[in-house]
Amino acid sequence: MKVEYISPFVEASITVFEMLLSTSPERGQLSARPQVFTSQQVNIVCGITGDVEGQVIYGMSIVAADKIASQMLGQSIVTFDQLAASAIAELGNMVSGNAMTLLSNQGYTCDITPPTIVKGTNVKISTLDIPALVIPMKIKDVGDLEINVSLKEREAKKAVA
Amino acid sequence: MAKRILITDDALFMRVTLKNILTQHGYEVVGEAQNGAEAVKLYNELKPDLVTMDITMPEMDGIEALKEIKAGDGGANVVMCTAMGQKNMVVEAIQAGAKDFIVKPFQPERVIEAVEKVLAA
Repeated sequence: MKVEYISPFVEASITVFEMLLSTSPERGQLSARPQVFTSQQVNIVCGITGDVEGQVIYGMSIVAADKIASQMLGQSIVTFDQLAASAIAELGNMVSGNAMTLLSNQGYTCDITPPTIVKGTNVKISTLDIPALVIPMKIKDVGDLEINVSLKEREAKKAVA
Repeated sequence: MAKRILITDDALFMRVTLKNILTQHGYEVVGEAQNGAEAVKLYNELKPDLVTMDITMPEMDGIEALKEIKAGDGGANVVMCTAMGQKNMVVEAIQAGAKDFIVKPFQPERVIEAVEKVLAA
């Protein structure tokens, strides 16, 4: 997988977190995984279709998810209910949507599918055979966010290029 | 009389947030649609002064819904409100008759500014 697919997601997550939580996340060491796999408690799965296709998964702990949702809603979360889940899903939607804008500036036109929340650790998510690159992000006072990017260029696009 | 607004977004969080922003500024939220098909149906029933429209939604997406609403009522005021700021999306929406385009995440002031401008025109 090309690294140029990664930076839009990093940039987008920084922009979105700065706006939503008034804090700037710190980027950690990139690592690779043979498959889309998550070891986090709360995961937002976004499908990507278009010139590049695959999946992006944003994983975090339940504590981090509660903190983020609380800030987005402007009230503290007692139970992780439908509204909190919706806020977290929307976070994934915003980061992916903003990343799509940046990807399109690089000449890749893509679309996102509505986000899905998957709760539970050690879940293997995709049947697609695309290796994943994982970017850990540290968010001050919130916790860690793990961005799993698993994308490949569509065959037809490759042929034209 | 308060201007009547229809909100369209598949995310509960966004509907709640937009509703709060709009009602705090004196607008009346007359309906909330969860997808494009619902937005078209509610538009025809409620005839709101303005519609906010998400793009990525299940059932019918926002661009499709925008086109259907404009086909039924050429004067409809639709403001796109979406996480996707891609040029081709913006161009397609504006060509289809959208009056403005707000990229999420947004500040409340940006929403109010867009709504005021469209309703004043």
